[in-house]
Amino acid sequence: MIMVQIVILMTSAALIVIGLYSAIFIDNIIKKIIGISFIEEGVNLFIVTLGYKAGGVVPILMPGMDPAWFAANAAAPLPFGLVLTSIVIGASTLAVMLALVMVLYRRYHTLSTKVMLADTSKREEYDE
Amino acid sequence: MNELIPLMVIVPLIAALLISTISRFNTVTKVFTFVVALCLPLIPILSNYGLHYFGGYEPMLDTVSGVIYHPAITYSFTFLQQIFIGAVGLLTFLVVFIYLTKYKKVSGPYLFLLFLGTAAVTAMMLTDDIFHMFVFFEILALAQVGIVAASSIDYSYEMALKYMVLGSIGSPIMLLGIGFLLALTGSVNVTDIAVAVHNGLVDVTSPVFLLSLALIFFGWLYASGLPPFHTIKSGIYSKAEPHGAALLQSFTVISMISIVMIMFRIYASLPIFEVLIVFFSILAMILGVSLALTQTDFRRMIGFLAVGELGFIGLGIGLGTNFSITAGLFQALNEIIITALLFIGFGAIVNATNEVDTRKLGGLLAYHPKVAIMLLIAGLAMAGVPPLSGFQSKLMLVQASLSCGFPEISILAIMVSIATFVVFVKTYYTMFLKPKPNDLNLEGKEVPKAMIFAMAVLLIIVVLLGIFPDMATGGISNFVGGIL
Repeated sequence: MIMVQIVILMTSAALIVIGLYSAIFIDNIIKKIIGISFIEEGVNLFIVTLGYKAGGVVPILMPGMDPAWFAANAAAPLPFGLVLTSIVIGASTLAVMLALVMVLYRRYHTLSTKVMLADTSKREEYDE
Repeated sequence: MNELIPLMVIVPLIAALLISTISRFNTVTKVFTFVVALCLPLIPILSNYGLHYFGGYEPMLDTVSGVIYHPAITYSFTFLQQIFIGAVGLLTFLVVFIYLTKYKKVSGPYLFLLFLGTAAVTAMMLTDDIFHMFVFFEILALAQVGIVAASSIDYSYEMALKYMVLGSIGSPIMLLGIGFLLALTGSVNVTDIAVAVHNGLVDVTSPVFLLSLALIFFGWLYASGLPPFHTIKSGIYSKAEPHGAALLQSFTVISMISIVMIMFRIYASLPIFEVLIVFFSILAMILGVSLALTQTDFRRMIGFLAVGELGFIGLGIGLGTNFSITAGLFQALNEIIITALLFIGFGAIVNATNEVDTRKLGGLLAYHPKVAIMLLIAGLAMAGVPPLSGFQSKLMLVQASLSCGFPEISILAIMVSIATFVVFVKTYYTMFLKPKPNDLNLEGKEVPKAMIFAMAVLLIIVVLLGIFPDMATGGISNFVGGIL
């Protein structure tokens, strides 16, 4: 494994760990969601790294290229395809989460998950 | 007709998009939705068993390694897929039928979500590609959140966000596991990965392989609502409209079995895999039924019972023999039908009383005898009373655990069934048999006929599968034999 890959893998691991910490331990829902995005991007970075090839070419077979040379030098295309889809899904879930947060912020006027996402049975007692 | 295989996903997906576009034309939307929903259970019945290669890319031979690999996404359609996709299609039809008859003005986005969820679980069931499964797993999570948020029940947004946050942590973790498998095998096709593992091309004791199991397993726990996600799963059932909850639980069961069957094909050679499944399944059985005992909201009570039943499915699969896996999958089919019947039945009661607290109900037998009788049979089926379908699958599970040399698991399964029976009888007595409270007004409140119809259809299936279990178990056993 070459140095670039090791550095990128360590970056992705750092993103995932920071994201997990933020998503689990921080009370503010927006910071939680930023943490979740960190996890997603860390995983995407990890998968992209799998397709990296030092000195490789873009995995598109152009006219005139020798297929054998192309097969030996092209970067693996599958991880890129997967990550592209994963980014789209991540954006969709992010949008839905933020939309829900907007609705709940208007209701509670706070971003604290302790208030916003408190156990519903306790909330009913609180409301009473 | 193998061409019908991709249509099982494409039809609900296109219908979902079209419905959200044409929803301002109420009558057209209603007719179109009804026709599409009617097609959903028919397509798997009409389709032949076989494989569908997207883009026409059939398996190819790698001339360097001499291994056959799949260059494109593959859908595999066997008896197992037919029976589960048929069941979820039928359920979607019944839920859509209830919805269309309940509301004069339909909501395009809500119908969009119902069809989107159906398309997602169908794709999860069909696909032989682990990343494709993950994509639809995410789409399913979005549809589930939407169905919960779209209900008019208090705190549904809160529950939807909670589920979404947990899901958004669980999904990338699962994707990381898929990434590790990709790194080890260079493929995301399940057959290719399984071949690589069984041919010894992957070291099954390597930390990376074990880590991939742990990460995908975590995602599976979230998808299945097994502990530690049992509370949130029962929570989303209780915050959805009852007919929506009936569909949501079927989504859970199908995503559970589709992911676990993929994991089984890849990780079956690891003894720890089966131990993990059995451990979490037993935990789900105990926690599900124990928490159900303490509930006064009957939607939440069914939610926890459903989680307990999921434990039975996992138990069968975790024991790992042909007979036990067949029993587990048969239990999954029964759970889909019986729990849907319970959710729709109790939904009918909510419709008639506007009350979900069992302590405030009573005397409903005299006012809604049809619902009372059908719910009684459904509850007995869930508890495993003969000759209903739940009895057959639970009997098979008890026999399977005995034949695997685990009599203590058999005893536990029987005890959990008895506890389920107690929970149901307690709730049933409180709601239907106890004298009616004075402040409960039941005069002139009818149960919608569509709900009665849906319950009757599901009840017929419960009784038929109870009397003729071979209709399902024979084909499932052949499928399991093929995998093993």
